[in-house]
Amino acid sequence: MICRLVYSTVRKILDMALLSRPLTLVCLVLIDSQPVLAQTSSDGAFRTDRINALILIAVFCAAVLLYTRWARQGRPLFLRKIPGLEAVEEAVGRATEMGRPVLFIPGISELDEIETIAGISILGRVAKITAQYDTPLTVPVRYPLVLAAAQEMVEQSYVEMGKKDSYDKDIVRYVAGEQFAFTANVNGYMMRERPATNIYMGAFFAESLLLAETGNAAGSIQIAGTARPEQLPFFIAACDYTLMGEELYAASAYLSHEPLMLGGLKGQDFVKMLIVAAIVLGVILVSLNLGGDTFLEWFEAV
Amino acid sequence: MSFWKTIEDIDRRWVYLMVGLAVIIPFIFPTEFPISITPETQMLYDAVEAVPDSSTVMVVFDYYPSTIAECQPMSVAALHHFFRKDCKVITLSNIPLGGPSMAETVTRRIAPLYDKEYGVDFVNLGYKYGYVAVLSGMGTSIESIFPTDNSGTPISKLPLMDSVRNYDQIAFIFEVADNATADYWVSIVNAQYGVPMCCGTTAVGAPKYYSFVQAGQFVGLLGGMKGAAEYEILLSKPANAVLGMGAQSLVHLLIIAMVILGNVGFFASRRNKRKVTP
Amino acid sequence: MRTTVPVAIAFLSGFLMVVSFFFREEATFIGGLSQNLLIWLTIVGGFTLLLGVVSITRVNWNAVKARKEGWIFKVFTLVSIFAMAVPAVLPSSWSPLFGRAEGSIYDWLFTYLDMPMMATMFATLAFYIASAAYRAFRARTAESTILLVTATVVMLWRVPMGEAFLNQFPGDIPTFLNTYIMNGANLAVQRGIIIGAALGAASMSLRIILGIERTYMGKG
Repeated sequence: MICRLVYSTVRKILDMALLSRPLTLVCLVLIDSQPVLAQTSSDGAFRTDRINALILIAVFCAAVLLYTRWARQGRPLFLRKIPGLEAVEEAVGRATEMGRPVLFIPGISELDEIETIAGISILGRVAKITAQYDTPLTVPVRYPLVLAAAQEMVEQSYVEMGKKDSYDKDIVRYVAGEQFAFTANVNGYMMRERPATNIYMGAFFAESLLLAETGNAAGSIQIAGTARPEQLPFFIAACDYTLMGEELYAASAYLSHEPLMLGGLKGQDFVKMLIVAAIVLGVILVSLNLGGDTFLEWFEAV
Repeated sequence: MSFWKTIEDIDRRWVYLMVGLAVIIPFIFPTEFPISITPETQMLYDAVEAVPDSSTVMVVFDYYPSTIAECQPMSVAALHHFFRKDCKVITLSNIPLGGPSMAETVTRRIAPLYDKEYGVDFVNLGYKYGYVAVLSGMGTSIESIFPTDNSGTPISKLPLMDSVRNYDQIAFIFEVADNATADYWVSIVNAQYGVPMCCGTTAVGAPKYYSFVQAGQFVGLLGGMKGAAEYEILLSKPANAVLGMGAQSLVHLLIIAMVILGNVGFFASRRNKRKVTP
Repeated sequence: MRTTVPVAIAFLSGFLMVVSFFFREEATFIGGLSQNLLIWLTIVGGFTLLLGVVSITRVNWNAVKARKEGWIFKVFTLVSIFAMAVPAVLPSSWSPLFGRAEGSIYDWLFTYLDMPMMATMFATLAFYIASAAYRAFRARTAESTILLVTATVVMLWRVPMGEAFLNQFPGDIPTFLNTYIMNGANLAVQRGIIIGAALGAASMSLRIILGIERTYMGKG
């Protein structure tokens, strides 16, 4: 209901043809905002020095909502192949054939981290596949709130697949609150149970290599995804497939193909293109000395 | 199995044994090599030197005890540097597991060397949950987020905090982190409140922060134990980080040797396979 | 109701925090409201830590009662939790062993048990990275060869022994590495990943605020 209200408001704005020419609008605001930006930040309650951020947020929200609308209308939206996600079903199938469990770790961070939410979203999809094939699934978690959310997600997945009887509350288990205690427990599980497939999706820190290397020693096929750039090299070295950065956030949309999710994905891609265009434009303006300083000042205030 | 295949696939336990020896031997037979200073460390040192004496600064202990070998030398060196300049130091942590305790232990070890008194020259605010809320909230009022210090004393009773209300009174922030909290410090505190800051982080996390240094959001960067060793050299206080350089050097060289050996075995095996199967 | 109320709270909280970003905290009602929300967050968050203790106690106690496999280790877990937590919350005025100050039971257990154990676990990374590097850094393709060479040279550069070795060669290799590898290729790639991940997180946050994404409630 809230979504519809906001969406209808934005749609009215779109129908007023303001945002149908976004570049024109952005240019107009840029020109008009120069005297505004020149004001000191002590004027009034409204932070005029942050108007640039407001514009970017407006463009971002409009892009996401517009693409969501198009996705709901049935317009085909292209998504490139993500090998790691294509391999998920195959990897679970492998586990089923071998009669060994699937291990899924939705990151070791709290529920307030966006990566953890992305990980749990993917868990829901993976749980549907394991429910379908009756493959044992184990999900160790580090925080109680993540435990609660993951349990609900897995249960819902099993119910949707008509396998409510196969669902066991102990699929998702709370292991330990401390990073390396959690890692030691999971490593021990890997060496004892030898899961056929390990899926790491979420926020990971120093234990990423400990987990991935132990999984490799146990002979598991491993698919990892994290938005932490510093952990990516370890996953790339030790795992079979790695989802990098925003591919993790795209995974939910990729696996479900729901219009709402796809719209969000395409909207963020649009904004990324705008950023790329701004970078290229900035490089040209600064390199050729064509007023690049003014252009850069606008971004400094963001 | 052929010799080259064996070289290509050495049992990982032999690798672990060699790494263990490579770590232990330099401590038994210490060697010293000159440590050159990277530009990022020099920039950090210069930026801290440029902080006016007697200013109020923050040293943030955002690292877990697991990375104590890399991060503790940085925080120790930072405290030496700030106390040497008679700066007032506020320490805090966004890490519940050990952050406040390490801040307490380290500052109480370093402070007496400079005759610094708790409450007047340094304060430990401790830990509060929710680093985004904490960092954002301190922009308005530090007391609203930390009504008491780590030992439960109301901060209104601490003389140092009389003149500190929010980030406006903080001249510099030295963040030592082994996780992503440094990202939040730079995006919330530096970007929104303009407080100059630098970062000391593990070698794994350092490559990410080069972009922040280049953008000027961090005025300097210490990367891993090498960065800590460089900082110690600049302060003329060689300590644990400099001591650890021998072991780190030998392990790096061992890993390089293993990689080369593995590739030699890989290419030799592949050539042998081609000879067998024309 | 079970779905509508959390979604409404998520929308109002998210919307408030976004809007308050553009208003001065001390001069406006909305700014003051957002400051209060941040304080509430730290308070409520403290209770989630308590939730963790309750959860781990319940899980382990049930395992001990049912004599599940490895139940004796669960007993150690429970004893450890309360051995550290109980003395830490008792007032230090009762005894110098209580509280969290230097010399207390909590401080002793943390300094002489917890810290070495955590540092040891982290130290095993050195062994794991050696075996991972040995196995993964193979010159199978052009890209993996570039990775291998770059990693080798950067590993040499980051230690004094290696740097001394590199300085034997003509040209200032360490400066070249710092300028063109760390502040060139590495910086560009890291920035790209950070921008992409940040946009992904922003998109997901927008979906959460609008109620499209309900994973935090355990709903798909």
